Amino acid sequence: MTWPAIRTILDGALVTAALSAISILLSLPMGLLLALLRWRRIPVIEGLLAAFVTIVRATPFVTLVLFVYFVMPAIGLELDPVPAAILALTANTAAFSSEIWRAALQAFPRDQREAAIAFGMTDTKVFTRIVFPQIWRASLGPLVSEVTILLKCTPAVAVIGVVEITRAASRVGAETYEPLPPFLLATLIYTVLIAVLVRSQRVIERRLARRMGLTPL
Amino acid sequence: MAELEPAISARGVCKDFGGFEVLRDIDLDVATGTTTCILGPSGSGKSTFLRCLNWLEEPSAGDILIQGKPIGRTGLGRDAKRMARNELAAARTSIAMVFQHFALWPHLTVLGNVAEAPVHVLGRPRHEVEAEGRAILARVGLAEKADAYPHTLSGGQKQRVAISRALAMKPKVILFDEPTSALDPEMVGEVLAVIRGLAQDGLTMVVVTHEMAFARKVADTIVFMDAGRVREVATPHDFFANPQSERTKRFIARS
Ligand SMILES: Nc1ncnc2c1ncn2[C@@H]1O[C@H](COP(=O)(O)OP(=O)(O)OP(=O)(O)O)[C@@H](O)[C@H]1O
Ligand SMILES: [Mg+2]
Repeated sequence: MTWPAIRTILDGALVTAALSAISILLSLPMGLLLALLRWRRIPVIEGLLAAFVTIVRATPFVTLVLFVYFVMPAIGLELDPVPAAILALTANTAAFSSEIWRAALQAFPRDQREAAIAFGMTDTKVFTRIVFPQIWRASLGPLVSEVTILLKCTPAVAVIGVVEITRAASRVGAETYEPLPPFLLATLIYTVLIAVLVRSQRVIERRLARRMGLTPL
Repeated sequence: MAELEPAISARGVCKDFGGFEVLRDIDLDVATGTTTCILGPSGSGKSTFLRCLNWLEEPSAGDILIQGKPIGRTGLGRDAKRMARNELAAARTSIAMVFQHFALWPHLTVLGNVAEAPVHVLGRPRHEVEAEGRAILARVGLAEKADAYPHTLSGGQKQRVAISRALAMKPKVILFDEPTSALDPEMVGEVLAVIRGLAQDGLTMVVVTHEMAFARKVADTIVFMDAGRVREVATPHDFFANPQSERTKRFIARS
């Protein structure tokens, strides 16, 4: 492979990494917010949010990307490909991660919450001081798998013209008539990106375990 | 001397769960500096009553007053408005609670558990609270466990941490719901000894318990509950030597 070909793929890698990073940073808190709002059981809102989550979870990701890019303008939201891609990724992972957060909230021991309330904590304090510090740890594993799925969804944004790793690799392959090297490089980059995620999860888990005197898993 | 307000009083407290009456018209005054033990058969409403005292359960009727000030409602009677959530939260800071299953916060160290509410609810400076917290832990025999996490402790130690957490709030009243029922027999003594020490220091406590010998020795007042009612309020001596009702006699005989 020539240097310009490699550059094309690396540029794609940058796009993939940036799209993923931004979408992760937006979608995980949004998923938590969705879960918290649903936890509150506010009549109409609960129904709307449940419908949103169900629809997004049921829709193939490519379809979701096309929907955001081609259908949203009809309701006045016209986005460039990159923001549209971020919106689709964020909506997708927010919906899936909200189920993870929701499970963690539901499993949270009632007696701990009651103790917090009995000691005068307001709902906000109970959440920020007692619930959240525990549920993010409990949800770390499932959230990281969700995020790796997000990363693996990113090639779908090529349908609206965003050039990420896979699109760049196939372009290089088509131009050079040698698909093997660009796809090997693409695979290598994905593997590194995912390894970074999984590795960070391990490091965090190990640190927490050490601090709390638990034996690491 | 002026008549002291009771530390806590319940007036006409009723509670039903979906039509099922659990508490029926309960009146009770707890004098400041005294220990009240609530006895009664399982299902008689002891826990529910205790939880009404700090409005963990909302009474269906009746008033709870902490040193004469209503908690839960802004005034007296059923028509009084409910307190705003943050107002209720603030009112709860003068009543601490010790739970049967400890309910420690596992992500915080022992000292972290003790300091949590004084720092984050009362807004007191951490260094000051931690110094006091260490003194309290030393007093319950857990000085060297300050930096340990709850999961490394025995049941008896956990409950002593829970008591320390309550003491750190410097509450007007501490409520205990069967503080030794979840403990292995060999750990019951260490926890009861701590509570007894607090009683001798003149803290105001309401203790739901099945430990008759403890109630007899430590209580200033014994309250006997049955089927959602207070059947008897007496000194330990009178309660055990001279029970007023057949129901009480049977309960004492059986325990
Ligand atoms: N949240 C609830 N919903 C419905 N019923 C309840 C609820 N909490 C308690 N009860 C019922 O109220 C009655 C009194 O319960 P409570 O726990 O106050 O009794 P207790 O005297 O503390 O008993 P124990 O000695 O077993 O702890 C029981 O019949 C119980 O089933
Ligand atoms: Mg009970």
